Amino acid sequence: MTVSLSPKFRISQHRRIAWWGSGLACALSVLGLVLSWLNPAIGSPLRPGLDFTGGTQIQLERQCEPKACTPITVSQVEARLSSLALPVATNEQGPNLAAAKVQSLDGGQSLVLRLPALSAEQSQVVITAIDDLAGPLKASGGSVNTIGPTLGAQLLQGSVVSLLVSFAAIAVYISFRYDKVFAFLALLTLAHDVMITCGLFAWLGLFFGIEVDSLFAVSLITVAGYSVTDTVIVFDRIREQKKNLGHLPLADQVDVAVDATLTRSLYTSLTTLMPLLGLIFFGGASLFWFAVALAVGIAVGSWSSIGVAPTLLPVLSRR
Amino acid sequence: MARQQGWFALILALAIAAGALLASFPLQLGLDLRGGSQLTLQVLPSGRIKTVEKEQLEAVKDVLERRINGLGVAESTLQTVGNDELVLQLPGEQDPSRAAKVLGTTALLEFRVQKSGTEAEMQGLLKLKRQVDAVLGLRKAKAAAAAEATPEKPPEPQPSLSAEDLAKALTSLGLTVPPGASETDQLELLLKEVNRRVVALFDSSNLTGKDLVSAGRQQGPSGNGWDVTLAFNREGGEKFATLTQSIAGTGRLLGIVLDGRSISEASVGPEFKAAGIAGGSASISGRFTADEARDLEVQLRGGSLPLPVKVIEVRSIGPSLGAENVRTSLLAALSGLALVAVFMVVMYRLPGVISVLALALYSLFNLGIYALIPVTLSLPGIAGFILSIGMAVDANVLIFERIKEELRSGNTLIRSIDTGFALAFSSILDGHVTGLISCIALFALGTGLVKGFAVTLAIGLLLSLFTALTCTRALLRLLMGYPALRRSTYFLPLAQLPPASS
Repeated sequence: MTVSLSPKFRISQHRRIAWWGSGLACALSVLGLVLSWLNPAIGSPLRPGLDFTGGTQIQLERQCEPKACTPITVSQVEARLSSLALPVATNEQGPNLAAAKVQSLDGGQSLVLRLPALSAEQSQVVITAIDDLAGPLKASGGSVNTIGPTLGAQLLQGSVVSLLVSFAAIAVYISFRYDKVFAFLALLTLAHDVMITCGLFAWLGLFFGIEVDSLFAVSLITVAGYSVTDTVIVFDRIREQKKNLGHLPLADQVDVAVDATLTRSLYTSLTTLMPLLGLIFFGGASLFWFAVALAVGIAVGSWSSIGVAPTLLPVLSRR
Repeated sequence: MARQQGWFALILALAIAAGALLASFPLQLGLDLRGGSQLTLQVLPSGRIKTVEKEQLEAVKDVLERRINGLGVAESTLQTVGNDELVLQLPGEQDPSRAAKVLGTTALLEFRVQKSGTEAEMQGLLKLKRQVDAVLGLRKAKAAAAAEATPEKPPEPQPSLSAEDLAKALTSLGLTVPPGASETDQLELLLKEVNRRVVALFDSSNLTGKDLVSAGRQQGPSGNGWDVTLAFNREGGEKFATLTQSIAGTGRLLGIVLDGRSISEASVGPEFKAAGIAGGSASISGRFTADEARDLEVQLRGGSLPLPVKVIEVRSIGPSLGAENVRTSLLAALSGLALVAVFMVVMYRLPGVISVLALALYSLFNLGIYALIPVTLSLPGIAGFILSIGMAVDANVLIFERIKEELRSGNTLIRSIDTGFALAFSSILDGHVTGLISCIALFALGTGLVKGFAVTLAIGLLLSLFTALTCTRALLRLLMGYPALRRSTYFLPLAQLPPASS
């Protein structure tokens, strides 16, 4: 096998720009996470959604064409909700509906209510009340989700634990297949990718009220998987070249490997992004932010496998 | 050559098998795709039981299953999840609130005897209870009549409770009314307190729902509501006789208490002084509606729950919203895949066409396995499927890039193909293994939604290893058997080839 010893693209020559770019993106992400944490309305690094806080979310479709609906304001709905008396089980405090959050979507055609956790019976009362106010409602177009507060905490804990465990397991696998410096770099780029994805959603949460749900946790784990795969493929090439190029400085070996795998990295990211872009543009609301998180994570992951992990390798191996 | 044909025959056989599987076992769609409700129940430890064991969870499940069957909901499934949770799925347009109510109650039925010396207090409370009950019933009937807009029945002598009397009754029981509560709320508050006090006036006995052999319902004698009938086993019949004998003719009452709520109070006439009510059967006349009587019957017949349960999660989605999810997700997946196919053919020429074929087979195998296991497809599941296609494409890209490299450096076509597969193998393997590690972590530690994603992604990764390394290769080698196709320009633009090999 012959390998071109004069790669067209030498990543080492651009490593300062690569480090500055990644450093800046990470700093911005951390800033977003910290700001979100300090924000009294959010109080955590990311704006937690229903899945993690617990509560009831009711989505209702009105029987009318978009924009042709009889106008109904959010405050009308909120007023109706706070005056509602709910059936309450023995020895229990009734939920406080004054804290309800109402959103109107699709030109007033659908309503999304965020409420404290309600029993099935209580949510039925709420739906009936809204039916009186904004009806008639489509019988088969609504959804009701209730997550108990303890379950929300469990979900959050489960997501974080599975994320950490899969990171640790991947690190063990790489140090077994390659060596410790490679494993460390794989974890570093993985942290880089996950942090930038989280940072973006922290900013989205601050400015647009976007919340993270359990699907977001799923997307983070997928991003982590892709990130490691991307990095491993470059490392695999470096290891393979050791036989022929072992006499060259490590920086040159890295340049050859990155150049050889560059097309693959770009093409793979592109082919993965295509179905995701399909989901973003045609997939409807339920998977939109999921697809956005994945698309961003995969783009960042492919960047870090080209610009961050390989350029850091010579620096760390020298010590 | 013979070996390639052997692989090709295997692939063809698998494709036919996957097709047959799909035809005979339709794909199962999750509730988020076809509409329906999902209830998660948590079994709570109580009394001496500090942690919920597997047997107790199964015992609770048995009781709940009997109750669900009694309710007559179609196609429902009840599964145990983890150490202390049960998940009930009700497909279609079915109201989850009734199921939640029937499932959530313990249904501990007790027969209690009134404490002696409390006759006067009991009479006062019962009078108030009947009055409040009647007023509330009337209000509910009125509201229902107004909602259905049917002409009202001719006015009967209406029970009523003036605002003053209501306020007096409330304060005499030591209740404070929350500001802004409507009259109905106040009445309900009053009724609850009265019921609590009534229950407190009874002593518990050793006769409980455990001694029941069956429960039924019948129209009440006055034609006014339904009664629930009970039949005891021999032991229960004897206990019931002793119990009724002890209070016959004394004016003390027999209370029938369900989950700490008094549902009926009955007096026992002096004629039972001698032997009590024998025969082992009784009926509860609580003026139930048909539905209430049916639910109560189902609960009693199903037995009481060994441990209390709590509904911790309800997710329901309407069928039309579900159908829209399916349509948009399918459209998204297909348009994305069409783009990928075009990309592969443009970039990789002949092998690109082969990889599109291999990916089509890959999708077919995937769906076949979903039908076989079976995997219930939910939205996150579809997302996992789409992502695994991304990984499968990646494997092909890795291989073809390697083949191109070999060709550029002047190798022959057949050798380039073999070397390309061999060299790409280790990075494909590492990529897939790290992906599978994430899947295992997700599946073991994640919850419902996350698990569905992990399962489809894991199936996809395993299959992608197989299709990339066998299907693509076998098809490529098969086509290379035709000399007309054995041309390097079908793989690379002429300009990139070294002059010697073309």
